[in-house]
Amino acid sequence: MASSLLASSSKRALARRGPAFAKTLLVSRPATTQSDALYVPGGPVYKGTVNDPTTFPTPSRAHTHHWSFERLLSASLIPLTGAAFATSPSVHPVLDGILGVSLVVHSHIGFDSMVVDYLHPRKFPVLGRVATWTLRTATVGVLLGVYQFNTNDIGLTELIGKVWAA
Amino acid sequence: MMSTRALHSLGSPMRKTLYSPSLARNQSLIRIRTTLAKRTVQTESLPASASVDILNKQRLLRPSSPHFTIYQPQLTWLASIANRATGGALSALLYGFSLAYLVAPGTFDSVHVVEFVAGLPDAAKYAGKALLAAPFAFHGLNGIRHLSWDMGKFMSLKGVYQTGYAVLAGTAVSTAVLVFL
Amino acid sequence: MSLLSRRLPRLARQFSSSAARCLATPVADKPVLNKEFKIYRWNPDEPATKPTLQSYTIDLNQTGPMILDALIKIKNEVDPTLTFRRSCREGICGSCAMNIDGQNTLACLCRIDRNEAKDTKIYPLPHMYVVKDLVPDLTLFYKQYKSIKPYLQNPNPPADGTEFLQSPEDRKKLDGMYECILCACCSTSCPSYWWNQDEYLGPATLMQAYRWIADSRDTHTAERKEVLQNEMSLYRCHTIFNCSRTCPKGLNPALAIARIKMELAAD
Repeated sequence: MASSLLASSSKRALARRGPAFAKTLLVSRPATTQSDALYVPGGPVYKGTVNDPTTFPTPSRAHTHHWSFERLLSASLIPLTGAAFATSPSVHPVLDGILGVSLVVHSHIGFDSMVVDYLHPRKFPVLGRVATWTLRTATVGVLLGVYQFNTNDIGLTELIGKVWAA
Repeated sequence: MMSTRALHSLGSPMRKTLYSPSLARNQSLIRIRTTLAKRTVQTESLPASASVDILNKQRLLRPSSPHFTIYQPQLTWLASIANRATGGALSALLYGFSLAYLVAPGTFDSVHVVEFVAGLPDAAKYAGKALLAAPFAFHGLNGIRHLSWDMGKFMSLKGVYQTGYAVLAGTAVSTAVLVFL
Repeated sequence: MSLLSRRLPRLARQFSSSAARCLATPVADKPVLNKEFKIYRWNPDEPATKPTLQSYTIDLNQTGPMILDALIKIKNEVDPTLTFRRSCREGICGSCAMNIDGQNTLACLCRIDRNEAKDTKIYPLPHMYVVKDLVPDLTLFYKQYKSIKPYLQNPNPPADGTEFLQSPEDRKKLDGMYECILCACCSTSCPSYWWNQDEYLGPATLMQAYRWIADSRDTHTAERKEVLQNEMSLYRCHTIFNCSRTCPKGLNPALAIARIKMELAAD
């Protein structure tokens, strides 16, 4: 039990398995490139020497806008949910539709944040990309499904209300 | 590694000298000089850049220290992971239902869903309602807590714990209210 | 050590750190209060051997009050191979940061729990590569600290050749941030840092980033803010608050990070 807890996570064990040494040993290169060849994101070998600072990805205001949008959307979900359940959805189908889309976008951002945290493509080149694109496809499908349900059926709010009363 | 081995070979005559009785010390000092002169140490000439390779070889062997399995359970990170888990579960339900309706609108239309729920025993109805209401209440209330942090409110450790317990109490009350609605 | 102490009993006694032995007049014998310490061990000379918890039992009445006292006693009297960093023994150097009973803190500031029924578990800082025993590799942590340029950037020094002046109000903005000793307790308590430490800066470095953003004398505020605007460096913070909860100096890195986010959103 204890040893299994102490053992490094398999994710890291994978990260530690760098390319073969042979290449770096045969060709004498400056110190930085020697480490760079062994570099695996999250692994124990770092880019550059101990005296080089880490670098930043290309900056973009989009990420700050993304953060602000996420907060605004989350905040607006509170009155939206209240309003949708307080009024009759058959009277306000637009409100029900806005709530449905907002919930899907909010969910998508949440799932996306999980992918970035746990399955980022820089660490999981295949699984990470599969997860990202599966999520995108699913979200498109879900938006279609919500649209269908809100136009052809009774809509999300009324469904929850009816299930709760059933 | 190399240097330790070298120290060991150097160590034994040195130790003998140190620990031998004082009368014999002079003699053994002579002996140590001769041994040192004769001793052949295997050395290897390496360029300064080789240090990086040696260090990297060591680095690749290093284990990663244990983390969430040994970290003390605290309201801070447990509430945070619960926020993600509850949100993820509710979103998964929304995604699952919407996709199911998109694929098979005849099976997953409101009439069938409501009929299915109505046919369940009362215990299952209440359990199911609690299973939906608790994550919804927690995620909603904790979401408000997060939004107030993002506006700079309750950002002290005291604020974090007070709001944390408030959210837990609020979740319990709201869940009860929603289940017996 | 065993060889040394056998041959040189007097020397071994001098190195012993039991409190009573150091006093000129022996104190009245206190009852024995044995406490078990379980300490993470990994030896780079035997890399194939998995890390283990090694148990040490020492008499608390012959030990100083802090965890660091216990560690030093174990190293001096029981097992000299036990490896850990320590220096100032008063919470200002940040060397002895480790995970004690599940919390990241400084061994020199952490009192020993005198409940002898419960063992105390000591691990290195969580989710870090281990150099040996309780010594984690902090290379990346320092490289990240360097990346935020933790120094005053102002190309126009005062014409009279004196220091940059600052109003008391502006100086006050740095309180609660300049006191950081970079012990890495907060960063290694942060789950986001556990999963993404190669890209996410972590609470300690982000608080120092804000310490320079908030400094009225620094003229590179815009550049400092710009580099943080990417998916990973800053926005991996999900306001979990483990950092502020664990800081042995009582600082609030989460607040500094929240202020960066608010200032970026307001810009």
